[in-house]
Amino acid sequence: MNIAILAQAGSMTEMARATGETFGFNLWMFLSQVISFVLVALLLRRFAYRPILGVLEERRQRIAEGLLNAEKIKQQLAEAEQRYAEILNKGNAAAQKMIDDAREGASHLAERKQQEAIVAAEQIVAKAREASAIEHERTMLELKRELGRLVVDTTAKVTGKVLNSDDQRRLQEEAARQIAS
Amino acid sequence: MQFRFRLILAVVFALIVGWTTQVFAQETAHGAGQEAALEAGHGGEEHHTLPLKPAELLHIGPFTITNSMMVTWFVAVGIILLAQLATRKIKPVPTGLQNFWEWMVESLHNFLESMIGRDLVKKTFWFFATVFIFILCLNWFGLIPGVGTIGWGHHNPGGGFTVTRPLLRGANADLNLTFAMACTFFVCWIVWAVQANGVGGVITHLFAPKGNTKGVLKLLMIFIFFIVGWLEIVSILFRPISLSFRLFGNVYAGEIMLESMAVAGGQFFAWLISIPFYFLEVLVGFVQALVFMLLTAVFTLLIASHEGGHEPAHH
Repeated sequence: MNIAILAQAGSMTEMARATGETFGFNLWMFLSQVISFVLVALLLRRFAYRPILGVLEERRQRIAEGLLNAEKIKQQLAEAEQRYAEILNKGNAAAQKMIDDAREGASHLAERKQQEAIVAAEQIVAKAREASAIEHERTMLELKRELGRLVVDTTAKVTGKVLNSDDQRRLQEEAARQIAS
Repeated sequence: MQFRFRLILAVVFALIVGWTTQVFAQETAHGAGQEAALEAGHGGEEHHTLPLKPAELLHIGPFTITNSMMVTWFVAVGIILLAQLATRKIKPVPTGLQNFWEWMVESLHNFLESMIGRDLVKKTFWFFATVFIFILCLNWFGLIPGVGTIGWGHHNPGGGFTVTRPLLRGANADLNLTFAMACTFFVCWIVWAVQANGVGGVITHLFAPKGNTKGVLKLLMIFIFFIVGWLEIVSILFRPISLSFRLFGNVYAGEIMLESMAVAGGQFFAWLISIPFYFLEVLVGFVQALVFMLLTAVFTLLIASHEGGHEPAHH
């Protein structure tokens, strides 16, 4: 059994050797090609793939960071817009309140000023009336006095006699009474 | 107007490429035929085939420098310089070369992340990205006219020049490189598997019965999964071979097809027949790079994921 296996193995080795020889297999050439290929692979690994893969990885990270930042910015923008809307609403409410207060205040002020104006006008009217009455009274007194003097003068000229003081006083009082009536 | 100008430019470019291809392909085919004929000892018979072995250019100690190694180093230096130029002054807003490199790395990273998960991709991205970019660049570099047709050779008695040792060869048409990449993956795969599950976890992953069974059925399942585990180990051991031969086979077949088409077109139409196959090879170059990356990524995901889900392990 063992001899048969060994014989079989021997014939296979011989067949492999013959095949290799036919196709130009040579151990030293083979080793040269192994060294060449391994050198190329290692050099490419060191100088060609590593830097490029590094750049690609860096770019991939940057893109990922960029996307993450964009997402954050988007979220922050949404929050800012929400805050802005809230602030705007609060501002609008405050402004409306201020306008309402101002309107109310203005209305009160206008009313007060109107009242004050009415009071002032009434005072002016009263003063004017008072002044008018005083003026009227003074004018009437002057008129009475002037009219009494005219009556006395006229009577003296018409009668041709000199009127004493009692006559003059009586005539003046009579004229004043007539005017007052 | 601009479209018309581009169309004219494309046609002119295609004609130049086609013509160049025709000349170089015929020379290669002729040279390869001569070489094969010389090796086989048949003087007059022509074989339009690319040799399976890369041509040896010089020896440094036990190391042999082959034309496929030259292409490997050219492309490796080109990729590293491109990467250095793109990442020399990294700006936050990428432009020009940095933009292109970022687009490529980011697309690959996102694609792998959607497939094997965030944690696993962090650990394994460097390998899968290198595999894809390296294989793609090598495959497309192999399509440039001059690769396989410029080199050392001899003048033919009837005229013309036969290239017997081309300076450059499609690197993935050399089994040593495809097997080197597959074996490197295999080592990385073991490391990642042990990191994700631990040694015991890997063994459990391979041999432990799946599902919730009881009684006799459980004993049966243990037996079945023990056998399946060994089959799985055989399958895992064959992965470097399948990966390397798939890539090698596709690229080598592509080169042979381009040569055959160039020869089939004759003296005047070789360039015309080759053009569609060049576009096909551009596509094949991309698909093979993608397939290698996808398969290695899926193999890693399978060992790093726990039972009942595809989430990568967190260790």
